[in-house]
Amino acid sequence: MQSERTRSGFLPDRTIHLHPTQTCNLACAHCYSESGPRERATLSLPAINRALWILRAEGYTHVSLSGGEPTVYPALLPLIGEARSIGYRVTMITNGLISPQLIDDVATRLDGIAISFDGLAARHDAIRGRQGAFARATETLARLAAKDAPVAAAISVTREAIPELPDLVDHLLQSGARALQIRPVALAGRARSATMFSALSAADQARLFLVVLALRDELQSRVPVQCDLVPARNLWQQRDDYAALAEAGEDEALSSLVNPLVITSAGAVKPMTYDFEDSFNLTTIDSISQERLDEYKRGVAVSRFRVLVAEALDGLRENAWFVDWFDHCARLSHEIAAARERPVGLFLGNTHS
Amino acid sequence: MENELSERLATRLANFKLKDDVIKRLAGGVIVDGLDIKRFDVCAYGICVDYFTPKMPRLDGLLGKKDLAHLEVFPYGILNPDYFHVRVGYRVDELQGAGAGIQH
Repeated sequence: MQSERTRSGFLPDRTIHLHPTQTCNLACAHCYSESGPRERATLSLPAINRALWILRAEGYTHVSLSGGEPTVYPALLPLIGEARSIGYRVTMITNGLISPQLIDDVATRLDGIAISFDGLAARHDAIRGRQGAFARATETLARLAAKDAPVAAAISVTREAIPELPDLVDHLLQSGARALQIRPVALAGRARSATMFSALSAADQARLFLVVLALRDELQSRVPVQCDLVPARNLWQQRDDYAALAEAGEDEALSSLVNPLVITSAGAVKPMTYDFEDSFNLTTIDSISQERLDEYKRGVAVSRFRVLVAEALDGLRENAWFVDWFDHCARLSHEIAAARERPVGLFLGNTHS
Repeated sequence: MENELSERLATRLANFKLKDDVIKRLAGGVIVDGLDIKRFDVCAYGICVDYFTPKMPRLDGLLGKKDLAHLEVFPYGILNPDYFHVRVGYRVDELQGAGAGIQH
């Protein structure tokens, strides 16, 4: 297999986004995984462990736990322990509604933890559907910071939340956040039908980009501010980061081709995002094996993924604006699948007119 | 107006008082191929941006910018002699408080 030192796509690490359960103690209006208290899809710990062993051999180095709410997964502590023993760096994103006992137990075992926020208190609580959710998340953030844990705040940004961003950042830094991750809300899952907020227009994306620049300038290098929205031209200039996928031989490690890899609570193994179109799935967690992954690397599915990424990269060349790269690829996966399903007769009809 | 001028830049950009076309013009202006933005703040010209680059910067992309008001290029210095520092001032009347482009 080729060296793991070569870069794989635009991420610095080779990451598995693992969603061990769809159960959540909240049912947020923007939730891309449509998690909630009534959702029961959950992965078994033995199946996860087996998959993590196989994927470590494919070059993945980082497990990012997400949900549903990972802290309601009954086997969370053994899962973190096993992943670390295999050699993964393990991080987690949580809504922060955790008992102090559990958060203390979890935080000492993780390499990083992010608490999610959606705006100042009123907006956060409205989107989360729970009065006091903002206060609880802030308490958890402050508790972790007081213990010197590597705690970040992950901010999901809607159009309505942009004006609150500077004050929210002040609040989060005063509460002890060591880093900030800013991400536009993806129009996936429950967010597709939500009415209480708007997705970002092109002008809103430009505004968010400038606000992040100004915040970075205020904070200098004291607190890293990472934003998922980047100028398309910058990504185009970094397109060689996808050279391993573009030129892949069959001996390439899977992590050189697909990064991040997503394992959903329903057991699907997908490229890039939770809502990537199903026909691009690699396998399922129950059927994952070295042989199955080798078949994927030789098969049509990886070729379709290669073509999709090439098309997405090509679209960056003349794009003067901003892109949330993984969401951009996910949208393209649905467009490609929809085009395949379009009846040929429509085109034949035109030839007779 | 004095309060607006003393407000932090992040808030002035975030609060939707600057019209969308002004925001898009500014965002489109500050992105320059091959140059990484390291500083971004208000200045006498409107907005000043400090870029760093490991290559001798090509200035054609910058010189054509409509709102360019000031341009300096100099070596980063002895700490990293291979880097270049490009300082650019962009004219943004709306951030100087001239009023045009402010939406109420």
